[in-house]
Amino acid sequence: MAAVTAEQTNGQNSAVANGNGDRRVIIRTVGLKKTYMMKGVLTEALRGVDIEIFQGEFIAVMGPSGSGKSTFFNMIGALDSPSVGRVFIDEVDVAQLTAEELAYLRCHKIGYIFQSYNLIKYMTALENVTTPMAFGGVMPDQARERGMGILEIVGLKERWHHRPIEMSGGQQQRVAIARSLANNPSVLLCDEPTANLDLNTGQEILELLQRLNKEKGVTVICATHDHRMMNICDRLMWIRDGRIDRMADRSEVHIEVGTIE
Amino acid sequence: MKEIKIAEQPWLSLHRTIRITVDGIRYRLFRASVTVAVIVVAVAFLMNILSESLIKRSVAANTRERIQNARLIYAWSAKLTSPGSLESVVADLANNPPESAIIQEIQGFGDFSDREMTELRQQAAEIAFVFSFFNGLDYAKRRSMIHTATGMGILNRLRTPAGREQFETALARIKSVHFDLPEEKLDALLEATPAVTVQLNKILTARGRAIAEINREVKNKDLLACLAEADHRFGDVIRQAGFVFDSEKLAPIIAVQAQRLIDTLHLEKSMEERPCRQLIAQQANILPADVNVIMMWDYLDSGRFADRYLERMTSAGLDVTGLDAERLVSLARGRKENTALNKAARLTVDAGRGFMGLGERLTWLLFVSMLVCGIGITNAMMMSVTERFNEIATLKCLGALDGFIMLMFVLESCFMGLVGGAIGALLGAIIGLGRVMAAFGVNFFSAIPVGDILLGMVVSVILGTLLAAVAAVVPSYKAARLAPMEAMRVE
Repeated sequence: MAAVTAEQTNGQNSAVANGNGDRRVIIRTVGLKKTYMMKGVLTEALRGVDIEIFQGEFIAVMGPSGSGKSTFFNMIGALDSPSVGRVFIDEVDVAQLTAEELAYLRCHKIGYIFQSYNLIKYMTALENVTTPMAFGGVMPDQARERGMGILEIVGLKERWHHRPIEMSGGQQQRVAIARSLANNPSVLLCDEPTANLDLNTGQEILELLQRLNKEKGVTVICATHDHRMMNICDRLMWIRDGRIDRMADRSEVHIEVGTIE
Repeated sequence: MKEIKIAEQPWLSLHRTIRITVDGIRYRLFRASVTVAVIVVAVAFLMNILSESLIKRSVAANTRERIQNARLIYAWSAKLTSPGSLESVVADLANNPPESAIIQEIQGFGDFSDREMTELRQQAAEIAFVFSFFNGLDYAKRRSMIHTATGMGILNRLRTPAGREQFETALARIKSVHFDLPEEKLDALLEATPAVTVQLNKILTARGRAIAEINREVKNKDLLACLAEADHRFGDVIRQAGFVFDSEKLAPIIAVQAQRLIDTLHLEKSMEERPCRQLIAQQANILPADVNVIMMWDYLDSGRFADRYLERMTSAGLDVTGLDAERLVSLARGRKENTALNKAARLTVDAGRGFMGLGERLTWLLFVSMLVCGIGITNAMMMSVTERFNEIATLKCLGALDGFIMLMFVLESCFMGLVGGAIGALLGAIIGLGRVMAAFGVNFFSAIPVGDILLGMVVSVILGTLLAAVAAVVPSYKAARLAPMEAMRVE
C-alpha cells in the first residue's frame, strides 16, 4: 500500500517518505478532497491531499489562512468526513467505522487541542481532564488519580479545582493539552495552539508539546503560524489552496530561513 | 488492511450523566432559569385555566341547588300571585321528575289520572324540545321558519298548511340547522296540540281559582307578610287551596326568607328618609342626594354602623319593631351572599357542556393554552440545545456517544420541565384559586374540588416535563448525529 501511496503523491514528499521507510505509518490520506456549499457556491477547501505521517513524528503544518489547514486537520482527526478520498488512522479506514467506533477512536487514539481551547465551561480543570476518561470507561477514583498526574505534567496541579473562566489563556490551553492526553492518545492534533497566547506562554506550550513528543513518543501534528515551531518539529508541511505546497525536514528549512533573512 | 481492535464505547453511568447535566445547569443558571421561566409561565397559564375551569364547574354544580333554595321565596310568591302561562306549565312538566312536588301539584289541579299525567309529561317534553329548538335560532332563521310566532303560537302556526310548508322549505334550505324530532312525532304532536292546550288551560284555571281562594282567605293581606307566617296558619291555607306545600321542610325556610325580604325592602325604603340619607352622606363624605341603596348596604355590612342607623330610622319615625343592630348586619350579609350567588350563576351559565363539562368557552381556552404551553416550551428547549452545539461538538471530540449527548439533553429538559412545571402548576393553581375567590367570594371555599385540582397539577407537571423532553429530542438528535466539526460550524 505504501508504494501505491508514494506513486500517487506529487513527488515532493517521496524523498522524505523513503527516508522514513521502516517506521510505522499512523495517519495516511489518499486523494483527500473536501468541498463545502457556501451560500450556494461550491468551495473547494481541499483539492487532493496525500500524505503519510509516521509514529512519533512532530509535524508542523503551515499555510496562510483559508488554505485548508483546518479542514485537513478535521479530516485526519475523524471530526469531519471527506467528500472524496480516504483517511486511514492506524491503517483503519475512518469512513468504514460506525458511530460507536468513531467515538472510541476519538476518545482513545486522538487528542485534540483547539485554537479556542473548547474547554467545557462548567467543569473544573480536573473534571475537564477526567471526562474523556469517563467516556473511556475508567473508574472515577482511578480517573481522578490519573487526571491529577496529567495536570502535574502541565504544571496545573494546584489549580485542579478551578473553572476555565478562573484561569488565564495559557492555563486554559494547558488544561486543554492535559485533556487531550487523558487516554494516552497516539496522535495529538493541535490547531494553532499558540495563536492566542503571549510569547512566554506560547514558548511554555511549545516546550510542553516537545517534551510530550520526545518523552512519551506521541505523534504531534500542529497547525501553526508560529515560526518557533520550526525549531522543535521534525518535518514541516506547507498547504496552499487546498494542496500540499511542499514538505521539508527541519534541517533544510533552517538553511532556507537563514538565506531568506 | 489491518483490523484495529475497537472496543465499543461503554455507556457512562446514569449517576455521572446526571452529575454532568446538573453541573451544566448550575453553571448556566441564568440561561437555565430563563428557560425554566418560560416553562413556568406556560404551565402556570395552563394550570390557571384548568383550575379555574374545575372550580367553576364545581361551583356551578354547587350553585344550582343553592340558588334554587335562595329563590324559593320568589318562586312561591310568583306562584301565589299569578297562575302562570301555558309555556311555564310546559316547562314545569318537562323539567321535573314524576315524583316531584310540582308534578303532583299539577296532577291535583288538573285532576288527571296517572296515565293521563304520563302522557301529558311526554308531550310537554316534546313541546319543550320544539321551543328550545326555535329559541336557539338567530332572529333571521327563526323568522324565515315560523315568522313571529312564539310559545304555543309556534305549534298553532305549524298546524296550518301554509305555516308547515314555510317551516319545511326553510328547514331544507338552511343546511346548518337540524331539527332532530322525527316527522311522524311532530305530526302526532301537532295533532294532539288542541287537546294538550285544553289540558294546560285546565291546570291554569284551577291554579287561578286556588289563588283567588287564598286571597279571599287572607282578606287581600300583603302576600309577603302572609308568607312570613307560612309555617303557621298560612301554610294550611295554601295546602287547602290545592298547592303541595311541605310544612316540615319548606314552610320554615319560606317564612324566614319572607321575613328577610320584608325587612330588606323596609330598609331600602328607609333610604327615602332624610336623616338616614344624611348619616350615609356623612360617612361617605358626599351630598345626601347622591347616596344610594348600595352604599347603605356596604356601610351596614362593615358592622360598626348599624346602631346609629337604627337611631336615625327611629328619629325619622319609621317602624323598627323586630329590628336590631345584629339583624341589620345579618341582612346586609345575606344580601351580599345573594349577590355573589347571582354572579356565580351568571359566570357558570355554560358549565356542564364541552370537554369534562367545563363549558365550551373554557374548553376552547384550555385547548389554546395547551398549544401556547407546548410551543413556548418547544421553543425554549430548541434554543437551549441549539446554542450549545459547540459544547456538543467538543464532547463528541472527547469520545462521547451520540446516545449520551441525547440523554444529557433530554435529562436536562426533564429537570427543567419538572422544576418549571411544579412551580408553574402551583402558581397557576394559586392564581386560579385567587381569581375564582375574588369572583365568587369565600363562601364557595367548600366547593373547591381539591382532588381534581391536585390531579390537574400532576397532569400539568407531567405534560410540562413531557413536552420539554420531546422538544429537546429533535434538536439534540440532530446535534448528536452531526460530525463534530459540522456541529461547530452551525452556530
